[in-house]
Amino acid sequence: MLQKAKDGLMDIKLFRRVMNWGKAWSLWSVHLETGCCGPEDMARACARFDTERFGTLPFPTLRECDLIFVTGFVTKKMAKRLKIVYEQMPEPKYVIAIGHCAISGGLWWDSYSVVQGVDEIIPVDVYVPGCPPRPEAWIQGIRMLQEKIAKEGMRKK
Amino acid sequence: MSIMKLSIGPQHPISAHFRFLLDVDGDVVLKLEPDVGYTHRGIEKLAEKRTYLQNLPVIERVNSYCDSAGTMLGYLEVIEELMGLEVPERAKYLRVIAAELNRIASHLYAASLFSVATGLETMLMWPINDRELILDLLERLTGQRITYTYQTIGGVRFDMPDGFKEEALKRLDYLEKRTEDYYKMLLWNHTFHMRTKKVGILRPSDAIKLGVVGPNLRASGVKVDVRKDEPYEVYDRFDFSIPTGKNGDSYDRLEVRFKEVGQSINILRQALKDIPKGPIKKWVPPIVPKGEAYTRVEAARGEFGYHLIGDGSMKPYRLKISPPSFRNLIALPHLCQNIPLADVPIIYISLDLIPMDVDR
Amino acid sequence: MIDKSAEELIVDSVKARFPEEVIEAKVQRKNRVSISVRNNRIYDVGLFLRDELEFDHIASVSGVDYIDMNEFEVIYYVWSINKKVLVGLRTKIPRDNPVLKSLVDVWEGVLYHEREVWEMFGIKFEGHPNLSLLLLPEDWDGPPPLRKDFVLPETHQERLEEKIKKLSSG
Repeated sequence: MLQKAKDGLMDIKLFRRVMNWGKAWSLWSVHLETGCCGPEDMARACARFDTERFGTLPFPTLRECDLIFVTGFVTKKMAKRLKIVYEQMPEPKYVIAIGHCAISGGLWWDSYSVVQGVDEIIPVDVYVPGCPPRPEAWIQGIRMLQEKIAKEGMRKK
Repeated sequence: MSIMKLSIGPQHPISAHFRFLLDVDGDVVLKLEPDVGYTHRGIEKLAEKRTYLQNLPVIERVNSYCDSAGTMLGYLEVIEELMGLEVPERAKYLRVIAAELNRIASHLYAASLFSVATGLETMLMWPINDRELILDLLERLTGQRITYTYQTIGGVRFDMPDGFKEEALKRLDYLEKRTEDYYKMLLWNHTFHMRTKKVGILRPSDAIKLGVVGPNLRASGVKVDVRKDEPYEVYDRFDFSIPTGKNGDSYDRLEVRFKEVGQSINILRQALKDIPKGPIKKWVPPIVPKGEAYTRVEAARGEFGYHLIGDGSMKPYRLKISPPSFRNLIALPHLCQNIPLADVPIIYISLDLIPMDVDR
Repeated sequence: MIDKSAEELIVDSVKARFPEEVIEAKVQRKNRVSISVRNNRIYDVGLFLRDELEFDHIASVSGVDYIDMNEFEVIYYVWSINKKVLVGLRTKIPRDNPVLKSLVDVWEGVLYHEREVWEMFGIKFEGHPNLSLLLLPEDWDGPPPLRKDFVLPETHQERLEEKIKKLSSG
């Protein structure tokens, strides 16, 4: 029995799988709202849709979080803060861009104060389109991210 | 004693898109300076570039925090005033139904945020869950949960689906019963009283002087409601009252919102009963004549003002939006003088400021 | 004699008190009054409106850029809670030298409204305690965005080219 566990720990593939499983199912998200997908953020975190089922718990302290939802458009003023927040988070960290505005600027494509797509500032893992996306779409985004993490190697990126 | 400068936000559980710059002496806040603009999209500039119809989804997102229908109503009012357009009766009722459902959703959302600020997590879940019922109704009516683009120039886009009336009345009955639970759980809760009573008292004279609007103004005891003062759409046909508060503290501001939910249910019942049959949309040319108009509507968070200058083309020459949260924002530094630091989130949440709305 | 409505009475009293300064005063429709004054006396007319005619609840301050006539228009919308009338107090100032006396002393609520008009149009309000950027990014260096000579990109293509230029340069 002991030998078996020892072998398991030595087995890098199994070890990686356990680690990825741990990463995928404890995606705590930062509370940073950037745009108007905020009410849906509340809806997906609360009783009916309850993304805590998938281990995604909104958490106030960003030092203990691994996931950031970019909810909607990012203005130039917010962009700097978003970058600071992202840099403060510990590795491994993931980004889900929610809504058209976060993906490409959306309705505000010609605005003087909106960044055209959040991937200009921070790397994005999953894009969820919609204006705003329904909570089901958020859940799909989280599941896609989990699948992505499961396929990950030892070192991220 | 030395004065310390403190900066809260924008990444902070209580300040969604805000930053507060505080002058703190020990635990006492001497001065608060709100730093806004984190959600500024330049909607007024974009509106000048787009046509009146293209503007519908843009304007709606001025306040997409559960109050799109109320926001949009003002924009349509101002266009229709310039055009001299009379909307079909049924469309007017449908607009009111969407706006009032939105008002309920918005107030429930505000209540849940309030409970988070006071640390009562149960009341975070309950109103949000009940809000889903309202959003379901709106989805059946309009096809979307948050942003509808349901009302359009000259009417509304879709008619009421079959069975909507019965379902809506059923849900409103449930919600009315549910409001009693809210009172038991939150408003009559001793802990809640301790946190909110006599916190952030806004005197009526100050509220008027600062130009505060909506439930915040009514909580101070000033009876102002655009739906009564200048009835638009069909609000003059309904029998409803304007709830006001006595003390103007944070507690009153929430209580007024709960009472308004009751009045909205009241209005919705009358609207669903009286709604006439007929067309829902009128064809209109996409050109607004030359002229100038200012209209006011009562959205969930207060009075929306729209000032439109048309130059006889398909695009507005100037569209000024005067949203309620921008006008309530000034109350925040006014109230946050010589108070404990722990009261700042309570006051901020009680004013129900939505940064989208402030920044446009 | 026919009874005059509240709106007409307001127009008459303003005209009687400021015969020189008021360029035009009229009733637009029910509950709406428009008063157009010379820009150097807007403060006095504001005080009169507040103290004598009970216009107490500030609704909006809006700026308009009439680039063809080379002037700005500033409009203070004030609601009277007792009379249920909205007055639009408007004045025109030259576009080359946009300076206006601030009405913060008259209506305290215009504090943020005037700040917004300042950053969006570049209209300077004399006597305003804090004219700093409110909504725009703190490192904003362009012209005031709501002026008509500030032009947004017309097509996606333009935006894209701009982006490519920015990426290739830095």
